[in-house]
Amino acid sequence: MAKNRLHSFLSHIVDIKPGEEIISLLLFFYFFLITAPFTIIKSIREAAFLENLSPKYLPYAYATALVVAIVVAFHSKLQIKIRRHLLISSSLFFFILTALFFWFLFPSGEKANTKWLLVAFWMWANLFVVVLVTQFWILVNDVFNPREAKRLIGFFGSGGILGGIFGGLTTTILAKLNVSNKSLLLIASGILFLCVFGVNYIFVWQRKRQILSVEETRIYTSVGKEPQKVGFKDCFDTVRKDYYLKLLAAVVIVTGIVSIFIDWQSKSIVYEANPFGGKLTIFFGLFNTGSLIFAFLFQFFMTSKIIKRYGIRFALLLYPLILFLLSLGIAIWPILAFAVTIKASDKSLSFSINQSARELLYIPVSPDIKYKAKIFIDMFLNRFADSLGALILVIVFFFYFSIQILIPIVSFVSVLFILGWVVLNLKVSKEYTNTVKQKLEMKWERGDRAVAEKMDIDYTKLVFDTLESKNRSSILYAMHLFDLIKQDKLTPELRKLISYKSDEMKVSSLGALFESQDTTLFPETEDFIDDKALEKDVKEIMSLDVYQELMRGYFDKTITDESKEAVTARMELAKAIGLMESHSPLVQKLEELLQDESPEVSKYAIESAANLRKKEYIPALVRKLQNPLTREDAISALEKYGQKIEGTLADYLGDTEENSELRKAVTSILAYIGTQDAADFLCWELAEDRGDMDSELIDALDRIRSEKPVVQFPEEAVKSKIFKEIKKHYQIFIQLYESSSESKNESRRKALERNLTFSLMNIFKLLGVVYPHEDIARAYQNIRAGTKNSVAYAVELLDNILHKEMRDILLPIIEDISLEERVQRCQSLLKSSPIFKETA
Amino acid sequence: MKISTREKNDILIFDIEGEIRRSDITDITLHQLVKDQLDTGKRNILLNFQNVEFIDSFGVGEILASYISTHNLGGKLKIAKISKKLYLVFQVTMLTKVFEIFDEEDLALDSFFKG
Repeated sequence: MAKNRLHSFLSHIVDIKPGEEIISLLLFFYFFLITAPFTIIKSIREAAFLENLSPKYLPYAYATALVVAIVVAFHSKLQIKIRRHLLISSSLFFFILTALFFWFLFPSGEKANTKWLLVAFWMWANLFVVVLVTQFWILVNDVFNPREAKRLIGFFGSGGILGGIFGGLTTTILAKLNVSNKSLLLIASGILFLCVFGVNYIFVWQRKRQILSVEETRIYTSVGKEPQKVGFKDCFDTVRKDYYLKLLAAVVIVTGIVSIFIDWQSKSIVYEANPFGGKLTIFFGLFNTGSLIFAFLFQFFMTSKIIKRYGIRFALLLYPLILFLLSLGIAIWPILAFAVTIKASDKSLSFSINQSARELLYIPVSPDIKYKAKIFIDMFLNRFADSLGALILVIVFFFYFSIQILIPIVSFVSVLFILGWVVLNLKVSKEYTNTVKQKLEMKWERGDRAVAEKMDIDYTKLVFDTLESKNRSSILYAMHLFDLIKQDKLTPELRKLISYKSDEMKVSSLGALFESQDTTLFPETEDFIDDKALEKDVKEIMSLDVYQELMRGYFDKTITDESKEAVTARMELAKAIGLMESHSPLVQKLEELLQDESPEVSKYAIESAANLRKKEYIPALVRKLQNPLTREDAISALEKYGQKIEGTLADYLGDTEENSELRKAVTSILAYIGTQDAADFLCWELAEDRGDMDSELIDALDRIRSEKPVVQFPEEAVKSKIFKEIKKHYQIFIQLYESSSESKNESRRKALERNLTFSLMNIFKLLGVVYPHEDIARAYQNIRAGTKNSVAYAVELLDNILHKEMRDILLPIIEDISLEERVQRCQSLLKSSPIFKETA
Repeated sequence: MKISTREKNDILIFDIEGEIRRSDITDITLHQLVKDQLDTGKRNILLNFQNVEFIDSFGVGEILASYISTHNLGGKLKIAKISKKLYLVFQVTMLTKVFEIFDEEDLALDSFFKG
């Protein structure tokens, strides 16, 4: 009951699912209790520094980040020996105790701080934030998959920002009340102490959860896992060997350098302006509060919307592009208001959209690699970037001494780095999609392709026909052997197979060449059969006028004979005609055999028609598509005609008066032919929106797309069809939902379920025509037959490769949402989406 | 040819009797029967060949078409209890590369759950 109320309350704030409430709240407060003391410490640090030293010393303070990086490297070694729970708790205690140590060292009253204490405090504050925040995000990354994280990351981020606001306000108010920096530090350590309890509760709760629900291990167990045994070098090697991680590392370095430039510019202007009569703790307290309120509002109202609506690429580009414009601005107008604007933008966007997007980038990385990479990138490289930024500043300072001149110079250097940052972000977003893709295995390929890759269907059928004819007709048998010899496929294995129980056979004519009196069928054939000579002999005999004349008489007699034996004779004739030259008189007679009522005679006639490929056979072959007994043979024969019959086939396809099975078979043949024209004909027919052949037409397009990537498809027409299919899917889904309450309608419900399955398949096949085919196939297969996690990755992949308009209407039918919510979204989109209005 | 169906653990078994050949088909083909079952949502199909004496090229086409239709929907079609002679033909024609073939029905049924 209480849980339901909590869920109901939280669902107003965040897109949360049942079971996620407690862990989400705990993580929210965990982050809050880290950022609140940090903001107090940061305000004290910056005010104390500028009150005692000039901005020209700032690069040296920034450079202490390198020491932090080295300490972090040592810290990562510590993790080898300590479990995660213990590591986080002991880190918190370490920072509480060291805060008390600084409190002890800080001078009371108006006494100035010593340089070394200011620099050491600066460095310690850096260490504080890098260790604790990284530990927090590692925990979040382990606990949630990309889709869950995408929903909740904004909520956690808000916790951090709210903590910062709380810390900033506390600083401002207490500083105004003349509470000293020293006392503020004591308050910060007190808040951090509360965090110890929060973290402890997270791990206790997780352990309970693990015991209660073994099934839900994916979400909850990773927290309680033993820590991985990784050292700093291992972390460094992990990043060095992975292109994606190297890109992430490069982005972090450039981001850090630009932030240092901006920080120095803004602090220099603050130093010059000296606001609040030199009481800089109040200024920094206010500034931190204001910028965090902005960050909070941005995070709360914008971050998730931007990421969901425009995708991760846009989210990654927004931050550098805003800084690009502001850096140009401050170069021209270096006043306090601009300094506050650029620093607040940097801070707010870094805390909100950049942090969220960057964490999302880590999600598809496997947990062990991610863990190592985050240690190196977030804990070490981030600090290293600050030092690098400081070094660049020191170099720039070497040439210019006046702060007024240095500010625009630093701006232009910033702009150059930001341009590099934009390029890196574009590369990262592309690699992100590839990394998500790697998470999705291809579960099956098209059946026809799988079969074609593994075997030769024509050869297989010939072997079966040979075996079948062995007991039926020695003539057919001989002709099949002749076919095998011609195709050079009479392998030793096949010879043995054919000779199996060969004594049952009484062969004559050509077959006798291969048979002996013994059980072995081909005792000496290899010595005297010359394949080419045999073929030539057969052709010559069949071309003889006298042979044609004689056979004509035999044909006329056989065709009118209605006895049972005559069927075999007609089969032999049909097969024999296929061996003749196409100009032979008897070839004209094949049409009559194509009309034969016996499917067996038809089979051989169809096969011969495929060999001769005369256009007069086409109508008869097309008719054979209607009969299931001759359909496959007719399809195979017409496929052999190839692209020269595309137009004819298209006529049949477009003729709605024709038999529907015939037209379906025609789509299959056009798909096999797979030329640009064939694809165009299929698309035109699909655009007619007749509905009766949609599944076959869509399957045909899918086949062409998978086998002939060079073929182009009319994108707009296909997309329009996708919209219609999605609309249809919505409607079926709503009907199914409504019918689920009517128990008597079981058969209707099953029919709707079936339609829903096929409709989803059609949607994805069409998507594969206009988007990367393999990616779409991977996504579809994992949605249909994957685990909850692979479904989430599939949706994430689609989220990144589909256009917005497509994404908006497709995701509601595949995302992991409740039935009621899906129905609601489908109904709402059916009413409001302009896409559906257009398709209507 | 006679075909009857039964179901075990969500696996549909087709017991085929006789010869799968063009001349023996009366009203409905094996492929059509398989497609009908796929339409109802079945995805795991086992062809029991215990009483299949012979198949011709039409029969091969039917089995292959059934395999393709099943495979395209992410399903599995396997064969059990095939005769030695037919198995030999399947081997020579490399049909054994396409189909998973089992000596015993139970082994075939188990294999559906082993991925």
